[in-house]
Amino acid sequence: MTTLELRHVNKHFGGLHVSRDITMGIEQGELTAIIGPNGAGKTTLFNEITGYITPDNGSILFDGVEITGAEPENLVKMGIVRAFQVASLFIDETVYDNIYLAALAFHGKNGNIFTNRQTYKDVAEHCHFILGRLGLSGKENLKAFELSHGDQKVLDIAIALTMKPKLLLLDEPTAGMSPDERVKMTRLIRAIHEEFQLTTVFVEHDMDMVFGIADIIRVLVHGELIAEGNAEEIQKNPAVIEAYLGHEVL
Amino acid sequence: MNNKLVTMAPWLAYFLIFGSLVFAGGDHTIHIASQVIILGLFAIAFNVLFGTTGLLSFGQAIFYGLGAYITGMMAKSFGGDFFVWALLIAPVAAITLSVLLGALSLRLSDVYFTMLTLAFAQLVWGICVKWSSFTGGDDGIQAIPKPELLAGGLNYYIFSFIIVTVCIYLLWRLDRSPFGAVLKGIRQNPTRISFIGLNVFRHKLLAYMISSGFTAVAGGLYAGIDKSIHPDMFVWTMSGSIILMTILGGMRSFFGPLIGVAIFILLEDVIGRSTQYWSFVIGAIMITVVLLFPKGVVGISRHFAGLFAKKGGQLDNP
Ligand SMILES: Nc1ncnc2c1ncn2[C@@H]1O[C@H](COP(=O)(O)OP(=O)(O)O)[C@@H](O)[C@H]1O
Ligand SMILES: [Mg+2]
Repeated sequence: MTTLELRHVNKHFGGLHVSRDITMGIEQGELTAIIGPNGAGKTTLFNEITGYITPDNGSILFDGVEITGAEPENLVKMGIVRAFQVASLFIDETVYDNIYLAALAFHGKNGNIFTNRQTYKDVAEHCHFILGRLGLSGKENLKAFELSHGDQKVLDIAIALTMKPKLLLLDEPTAGMSPDERVKMTRLIRAIHEEFQLTTVFVEHDMDMVFGIADIIRVLVHGELIAEGNAEEIQKNPAVIEAYLGHEVL
Repeated sequence: MNNKLVTMAPWLAYFLIFGSLVFAGGDHTIHIASQVIILGLFAIAFNVLFGTTGLLSFGQAIFYGLGAYITGMMAKSFGGDFFVWALLIAPVAAITLSVLLGALSLRLSDVYFTMLTLAFAQLVWGICVKWSSFTGGDDGIQAIPKPELLAGGLNYYIFSFIIVTVCIYLLWRLDRSPFGAVLKGIRQNPTRISFIGLNVFRHKLLAYMISSGFTAVAGGLYAGIDKSIHPDMFVWTMSGSIILMTILGGMRSFFGPLIGVAIFILLEDVIGRSTQYWSFVIGAIMITVVLLFPKGVVGISRHFAGLFAKKGGQLDNP
């Protein structure tokens, strides 16, 4: 079954054509990598899929339902959830409270005005599960701004996972991480993908990671989807080598 | 460290100070204390928008003035016994108006929101001054009647103290509620709020309605202190003073705005008696606090408490 489908999606920023007639179908349970040079339009594509911006034309379907132009909050409720290239956190709050806020939203407690927010057992359990699963347990009382860059990216993903996504989009999850952290993050993504039965799309520059874990790789250059296939196919694709991979990788 | 005690200490201080005045305060003190608690409610309600949600409204005086005028005019028309009922009608009217103004202004970016609230306030002030046949114009409204029971200064203070305390308690609950957590999230990162599935505008609007409703209660209570009200309650400097007092006290602390109001009014009273330049002195104090202690007076005390006891208990740890 196709979870996410894009049909002839176009987006311009002034004279810049950032999504060029993009058509693709992402199957349920697929772990997809999107690669491409800086400025290729990868983040823009995520912004279109998650409702942050609307494409100029074309359509986007989720589980067969047209979602083009829908608001982010409605897409989150449908199960389309993302983490950001620059971790998007509640920076003055503790790690726990960052996840707690997401869990409150997930459990629909956000409108409760006069109840003490500590009264919800299900919400607290949800938080502790996420904290434990993502290895943040010892750090729950640190403020988000006190975390290392790598842990901030993990927390961003933790917030996303708290929303119980069906489709999870991760924008450069290992950007700025140490080699150690990269390895951990790569394993984590593969593990949660299976454990939570997700359809996962991630943007990544680290080719070891891309070729190591992605089922399908899609290559975006100048807003155009120039290739898609498994690791072997992509590594052999002349257009990809020409436009992006060059010699250093192969 | 005993967390319960830490959260309850400000309440203890609140009841000790404002409660003991019931038994010990002279006429003048009671008059000052009435102003402090009523403006304190205004400031705490304002801070739901400002310190909590990150919305700077320059027009909360609209709801303060509205509360005062509804209460004053109703009591004047229908008699003193109606005073207390008017205090209930005032917030309903304010909330209704806030839905309209909020729908127009809360989708705009922060700066435009601030400018638009300022424009609304000036508009309402203009109407209040010009429509003198209805509002009394520049003269305002005098000799507002109250029920027998609330006649004396002390009785009215007790009455105000009870109402203000209930209101502040509700706002305190809000501050610690899931909804309060969402508002703090909106202040820090509205984009992330959308991406955890919440509608930013709707939460802002509800915060605006609640803040405006409580502000109108404060305005209504004010109409009973001196039994007179005037259009200045609507004017933008009224909103401005509340902003200053909130910053002075500390906008990141729940009771900070009340402390700011208390300091401001006490200084005004003490310095105002000895020099006509009291606003100059207040200005100098404000600048000092803001430059040295951007977290306000509460920030100062936390700073010094921190010097003695490194690492305090966090306010809302699980
Ligand atoms: N909101 C925007 N307004 C104008 N230009 C934008 C905007 N967002 C992205 N761009 C431009 O679009 C191009 C693609 O950006 P982006 O999608 O962030 O690329 P990538 O994530 O692949 O590095 C870049 O040239 C960027 O400067
Ligand atoms: Mg990008």
